Parts: sequence; structure tokens; C-alpha cells
Amino acid sequence: MALLETRDLSKSFGGLQAIDKISLGIEQNTVHGIIGPNGSGKSTFFNLLTGVYKPDAGSYIEFDGRDITDKPPHYIAGCGLSRTFQLLRLYGELSVLENVMVGYHPHTKYGPLAPFYKGAEVRRHDQAIKDEMLELLEFIGLADYTEIPAAELSGGQRRLLALGRAIAMRPKMLLLDEPGAGLSPVNVDNLMATIMTLKERYNLTIVVVEHILKVVMATCDTISVLDHGQKISEGTPDFVKNDPAVIEAYLGREMADEDIRAAMNA
Amino acid sequence: MHLKKKVIAGVVAAGVGLTASAAFADDIRVGITMRMVSENGQAYGQMVMDEIDAINASGGINGNMIKATLMNDECKSDKGVANANKLIFQEKIHLLIGSTCSSVSLPIVDVTAKAGVAQMIPHSTNAKITQKGSEWVFRIPVSGRYYGGVNAKYVGENIGTKIAYICAADAASVGDCANMEKQMRSRFGVDPAYRADVQEKEVDFRSHMQKIKSANVDGILVAALAETMARALVQSYEAGIGEDVRRIGSSSASNAPVPKIAGDAAKGVFFTAAYAAADDRPIAKLFNEMTRQRYGIHAPDHDFSQAYDLVRIMEMALKSTDLELSSSSLAADRTAIRDAIASVEGYEGLASGPISFCAAPTPQCRDGNRTAVLIGYTKGGEDFETEVLARVTMEPDFGLE
Amino acid sequence: MFFLSRLANMIEALARIHRLLPWVIAYALLLPLPWIMTTFFNEYLIDLANRACLFILLAVGLNIVKGFCGQVTVGHIGLYAIGAVTSAVLSLEPGGFGGALGFGLPVWVSIPIAVLFTAAAGLVVGLPSVRLEGAYLALATLGLGESVRIFIAVTPALGSSTGLMMIPSPSIGSFVFDDFASYYYLVMTAAVLGIYFSFSILRSATGRAFQAVREDTIAASVNGINVVKYKLLAFVLSAVYAGLAGALFAHMPPGYLHHNNFTVIEMVTLLLMVVLGGIGNVWGGVIGAIVVTIAYDQTKDLVVYFMDRPIIIQPLVFGISMVLLVLFMPRGIGGLFEGIQRNRRFIRRSEEKLGGTA
Repeated sequence: MALLETRDLSKSFGGLQAIDKISLGIEQNTVHGIIGPNGSGKSTFFNLLTGVYKPDAGSYIEFDGRDITDKPPHYIAGCGLSRTFQLLRLYGELSVLENVMVGYHPHTKYGPLAPFYKGAEVRRHDQAIKDEMLELLEFIGLADYTEIPAAELSGGQRRLLALGRAIAMRPKMLLLDEPGAGLSPVNVDNLMATIMTLKERYNLTIVVVEHILKVVMATCDTISVLDHGQKISEGTPDFVKNDPAVIEAYLGREMADEDIRAAMNA
Repeated sequence: MHLKKKVIAGVVAAGVGLTASAAFADDIRVGITMRMVSENGQAYGQMVMDEIDAINASGGINGNMIKATLMNDECKSDKGVANANKLIFQEKIHLLIGSTCSSVSLPIVDVTAKAGVAQMIPHSTNAKITQKGSEWVFRIPVSGRYYGGVNAKYVGENIGTKIAYICAADAASVGDCANMEKQMRSRFGVDPAYRADVQEKEVDFRSHMQKIKSANVDGILVAALAETMARALVQSYEAGIGEDVRRIGSSSASNAPVPKIAGDAAKGVFFTAAYAAADDRPIAKLFNEMTRQRYGIHAPDHDFSQAYDLVRIMEMALKSTDLELSSSSLAADRTAIRDAIASVEGYEGLASGPISFCAAPTPQCRDGNRTAVLIGYTKGGEDFETEVLARVTMEPDFGLE
Repeated sequence: MFFLSRLANMIEALARIHRLLPWVIAYALLLPLPWIMTTFFNEYLIDLANRACLFILLAVGLNIVKGFCGQVTVGHIGLYAIGAVTSAVLSLEPGGFGGALGFGLPVWVSIPIAVLFTAAAGLVVGLPSVRLEGAYLALATLGLGESVRIFIAVTPALGSSTGLMMIPSPSIGSFVFDDFASYYYLVMTAAVLGIYFSFSILRSATGRAFQAVREDTIAASVNGINVVKYKLLAFVLSAVYAGLAGALFAHMPPGYLHHNNFTVIEMVTLLLMVVLGGIGNVWGGVIGAIVVTIAYDQTKDLVVYFMDRPIIIQPLVFGISMVLLVLFMPRGIGGLFEGIQRNRRFIRRSEEKLGGTA
């Protein structure tokens, strides 16, 4: 059963057609990879899914049975679709704990003016959120840093925090935008292991955009391949690896990356 | 316990710093709050201080020295009220002098009335100041209600009744326009031929001037603060309105910046004031000389003369009373000073006419100077010149509803 | 600094007994202030305290939209003006001096209405923030603020150039709040409540949402925060503070309002308080308001003799010290406190850790 489905999803910026009629479905409880050469539109795709960009007319996006095509990002988040950013976009001045508590926002049980007339309930509810978030931080290994402002964390810790914040709202689906960018291979493996644990723990469906093909091939159940804004292939890792269209898309570029060829031939 | 002690110690330490220098019990304490934003404004304040120094130098008041505190209220009512509060309650003054702007004097009247401190007003002309029924306020300058009548009479009889009005939004000018309009209507049954309400610091009058030009008026009344008035005058000539259309100034026309900035455009402008530098009385000539030497003022306007007269009246009143000047006699001393000022009668100084007060809290009693003098500029620019056109003394209840 | 640490520890200990205890004690300590001032110093200091309380309300309110939510607004004084003039006009007797409007409502009715009206105005001031940021938003809000003042200046019904006078004082039965001490209890209570609720907002999902919007609007939106709604809410809440402060200002003796109480200069002074105290820090607004009010008052009659002429040097002293402050202490006094607090937490955590691993 497709938790997320797009039909003819398109987006153009001025004259440039960044995403061109992409139709795909993401099955529940799977790990779905989105790959493609640079400039193929992967980040734009995520921004369209989460409402950060408005899709062109004729597009259709459905999540958990609901039409989210032209909905604003906060609404989509409320439906249970969460994401991370390549640039992380942490709340630098807020503490680690506060960052994840913001992640929990869609589930806040009191209204924005409640502090004025329901103070006790606000405090009670916030304490419950705090406890839950502390547990989450414990799980991802940031429990020692709860009061530290996010801006003061190390690179690896910042990624963990971004992950934690995205999971804080118990999403149904989590979109990961190049989670491994800039990490050494060992750290990438660690990160992926953590993500997989989180998937099991919280019953998530994961969609990951990634450049590091070894990781994608190893962890994904399904992979969709984008090139020039179009979906050129889709299927299991084995299928995609051997699809001539995919190979051409990658090798047809200036790619001196051993990793890709190794992944292709593995 | 420990914490509380520290807090109290801190408060006391702060308090010692906060209270102003301890006043000697034998001094007469005078507080002054004025608008001292412009060079003229600062000169008025300085002159008052200098005159008080001179009184002290020649033996003070019956052997007591006057301790004066000068504050700037920037022509803002909240600052003026804060100054008045500080002077009355912290400095424990016996007498308040203030303020320049009507919008500041108005609320201070309530403060001095409630606290029971005499307030001598050096400059404000807005009629309402003395209509509040306070028995503590004394106005030295000529109230705006007189100016309107004098102006209207002279204008209607010598210039014509078709008058254009340019009215800026500051309190004094609004009052001046209203007074003039009322007087013109009651004397001659005419309304303004044209009326423009502009901002306090308006810079562009051209569209108004064009309309005025085509309305073929006999005269243009410009009611605004000094710099704004000068601008309007200059632009009236730039628009091509001839010299035969007389320009009439409101009370601020007497301020030096008007002829200095307006230059040639000031020639022929006339206005009512409470003092004319062109006055040929010996006392006036001496005063002109003094201001020129001490403050570099070329031809003092009535704000200078009023401030000077105020100090003289204050000196007279203070010398005529017997003040105890102890910390327990503050209320009694303040009342005595008030009564002394109220009994000033027929004081002849620099002002255009005699200044008299009486005890009742009415405008008739508290607007001390009922004589306005009509002054015209014969020459504009840095070394401007004036002439006295007429001198008119009005009845005490002139211009009241 | 050590003293402050001890103070903070003490407050925490009290809070553990009951959450509100530090507040109650603080309020109780503030109650006898008028008596202390009159007995040991002079009554004027109560007036000074009243004015400081009004600015505390303004600064704490401004901190919500500017400090928590990060929206640049330079028109806040316009909201103060709206609160003041609305409550004044509603409570004045009809047919007042110079054609001013009046509806003769009791002060306890006019103040809440004025606050609500100002909140609505806050919504309008906040609308540009949906599309604009930084300098552009500053210009828009500055324009809005100034136009309020000019509107008052040219409208006789609102006092125009002579101002609104004889604005009634609040009264309960026969007791009238028309002197320094009685008014102190009104404004001090309002200020304390204002500070309290500012903390309530800060320590709730609303406060976190405001700060998230400040830090990164895109991240905030994908975290489920309706950025437009929260930006506007921040403006409205800070307008409530400004409206209350304005209304209390209007009814303060001698009950006089003039449009030049609300110029750009006053806005800059308010900004100064927020910056001096520390943006984004609740106590920062409080400290800034108190420090600037006292500093302004104390330097008022500083006179320096230059070439035999007395020159009032307050504007110079004031201006220079503030510039130095912004240059060398950009996070304000509140920033210093935050540093201390973090050090304390770090020390405490380290101690726990060491204790744990022993």
C-alpha cells in the first residue's frame, strides 16, 4: 500500500523544467532511495513533497490517503511527513533539548494562547514532552548535551540532532536529504546503522536521497533514479544497478568516482 | 536574611547616589524647565541663570541665596512633566519657572496646582493655560487670546478682510489661527479666504501658494514655528505673490530665526508681540545692548524680554515676603511666594505694557500682560531691523468665551 | 558575579518549594517601595519607578516580537500611542477642550478596549512581516509607526496639537489612583504580570515556535509551525503589552497626551533598552528599561561649562555611552547573565558526571 504517491509531479523555475512529470509510489515500511546525477532534481523533489515549493498545475501528491498537493509545509508536517535538510537547518541558539521539542510541535495538545489561561496544563504537557524527548536523545546518544546550544555541537552531533528533531514528531514517513554528505565512510555506515535502528524502533518509512551509491544499494528496498528532472528507472537495487539507462545517465557525465563504478560492478 | 541585608544596603547605596546634592535649608530653590533645543532656547535659559547669579552676587533675597536648577524639556510634555515632578518632589523647589512650549506648560499646570507650587510661565501663549482655574499659575507673556484681537483689528482696518491662513500643527500656531479666525469673524463677519493646515515642520508650501495667488487675497497669515514660518514666507515670494499682499506673522514671528532665514522675504511682515527691539525707551535700549554683549543676540525678541521681566518680577515678589525656609515650612513658603506674585501690580519693565496679577484663579487675573505691540520688519537677514507700528492694551476679559 | 550565582541558587531553591514562591516574594519585596522612597528619599523616585514600569512593559513586549521571534520592528511606539490615545478618548468626557472626542467610559472599561484595539493594530503592523525581512520590514514598520503619530497630530478629535488633557485617573469607588504611590501599585503589578506571562510564553510550545521562526523559517515550517500565524501572533502579543503600557501612560497623572510623546526618538530609546538589556532575554528588557530610565534621569541636569556658557551635555553622554555599549556588549547585560547561567549548568553537569563515574 503506497503511503506516498505522486502523479505527474512537475516544477519549473522560469524557463527551467526542474521536475518533469514524475510519478512514483513509496510503500509503507520500506526504505526507498532516490538517486541520480548532480542537478537531476533530487532536492527539488523533496521540497515539492514537503510543500516548500509549490508544484506546477497538473501535479498530484497524496500522502496517507490525503491530497497534499498544494498544502503548506506545516500542514504536511502535521500529516506525519517529516524531513531533514542537507544543510541541517538546526535552531542554532536553541538547546539540543529545545530543538527536538520543536520537532514535536505538530502534536502539541494546547493552543498557542494556552500559557495565558491554562498554565498548569501547559506545564504538565511540556513535562511529558520533555521526558519523551529525553528518552529520544538518550536513544540517539545526545543525552549528555541537552542544554548545549545546537550551534556549539560538533558536526557529527549536529547530524544526529537533525535526525532526532525530524523523528521527534513520530512521523509516518521520514525524508532524508543526503544524510551522509561529507562524512567519512566509517561514519556513513554508523549513521545508516542508527537510521535503520530508528526505523525499526519507530516503525518509519524512509525515503533517502543520497549520492553515496554503496549505501543506497546496501540499505534500500526500492530505488528510483532521476535524471534531468525525470524518472528514468525504478526497482530493486539489483535491477537499477544493471539498467542501461541508469548506467548511461551516470557514465555519460564526467565522473571519475571509483565509488560509482565499483557500485555498478559490485 | 543575608540576602535581604544586601538588598537594603544596595538600595541605600543607590539612593545616596540618586538623591541630588543636599540643598541648604536657607536657600530659595527655583526650578526651571524650558525648551533648550535651539540656540535661542539655550540663550533664554542661560540668561535666566545669569540674572539669578547677579541677584545672588548682590546679596541675594534678604540675605538668602537663590539656588536654581535648569532643565531641558525638549518641548515634550512627558519630559516637562518629569522635570516638574523631579524639581518639585526631589529638589523641593519653592517656585517653578516653565515652560516655553504650550504643550508642555499645559500639563505642568496640573502638576503645580496639585503640589501647591507657584508656576511662572515665561513663554507659552496658548489661552487654555490660565483657563484651567489653577491658583498657582502666572503668565508673564501676552496670552494668545489678545494677539488675535490686536492682529484682527489692525489687519481689518489697514490691510483688508480677504485673508489666507497657513496654520501649522503646533499648539501655539493652532491657537493663533483659531483666535484670528474668531476675531475676524466677530469684528468683520468674514471667514478665511483660504485655509491650509500644515505639519509642524512643513517644508513645501508651493501648492498652497499657487492657490493663494489665484485667490487674490489682501494678506496671508502664516502661523507656524520660526523656521517653518520663514520657509513659508520665502516660498510665498517664490510663487510670485507680490509685496502688496501683506504677510502677517503669528507670535513666533518675533523669533530671530524668522528674519534671519527668510531674508528679504521678511520685509514688510508684521506681527503682534510683547516686546519690540525697536522700542526707543531707555530701558529697552539697555536691554538690547546687554543681550548683544552677553549672548551675541542682535535684536532680542519678546521671549528674551519676557524671561527677563519674569526674573525681575520673581525678585520683587520674593523680596517682599518673609520666608522661613526650613524643611518643615516648605508648604507655607510656597504659598507665601504664590501670594507675593499674585499681589504684583502695575510692574513696568521691558514688556509692551504693565504686568499685573491678582489672587483669583481666573485668566483675567493670571494673564499678566494685556498689551500687545504691533511690530513690522523693515529689513530681513542677519542684521534685521524692526519698527513699532502700534501699541494696544486690551480689556482683561477680552477673547474669553 | 558570585553574588548573582548565589541569588540564582536561592531562587531555584524557593521555586522547588512552590513554583510561584519566588514571584510572590519578589512582588512582596516591591510593595513597600513607595513607603521606602518617601521615608528615606523623596516621592519623585516613585514617579521615576512608575515610568520605568511602563517601559518595562514596553520592552518586555517588544522582546516577544523582536527577541523571541526575530522580527525587526521599529514602529512599536505607534502601538504605544494607539493604546494611549484610544483609552484616553474612550474615557474623556464628551465635548472636551478643543473638539477632542470623548465617550465618558469608565477607565476600567476603556483600558481593556484600548488593549484589544491595539492588539488588532498589532496585527496590521505585523502584516508586512509575512513578506518582508530585515531592512525592508524595518522601513515598513517605521512608516506605520510614524503615520500613527502624524494621524494623531493632524486630527483635532484626537487632540491634534494641543494634546488631550484632563484624562481621568482610574478609580475604585471613591478611591482615585491619582498620585505617584497609588499609581505605582497599578503599573508595578502590570509590569510583574507582564514579565511573568512573558516567561510563560517563552517556556511553552508557543515560545519555542517563536524562536524556531527566528532561527530558520523553513525548518520551522517543516516542523509543523505555521510561520505566518506565529509571526502575526508575536506582533499581536507584543501589541497587547504596548497597548496596556500606553493606556496606563494616558491615565497617569496629570493625564495629558501629546503626539510628540511618541516620536522616533522615543522609539530609538525603547530599542536602546531592548538592546542594552539583551535581545531575546526577558530580564534583558527589564534591566534595559530600568537602567536607561535611571541613566536618563540622572544625567538630565549635567552641565558642563564651556567658554563661560553652561551646556547640557546629557544627549552627548547618553549617546556616546550607548554607542560604546552596542559596540562592546552587543548581547547586552542579559547576554552576560546568559553566559553565567550556562557556566553554572556546565559546572553542575560536570559535577553530576564526575559523581556518576566515581
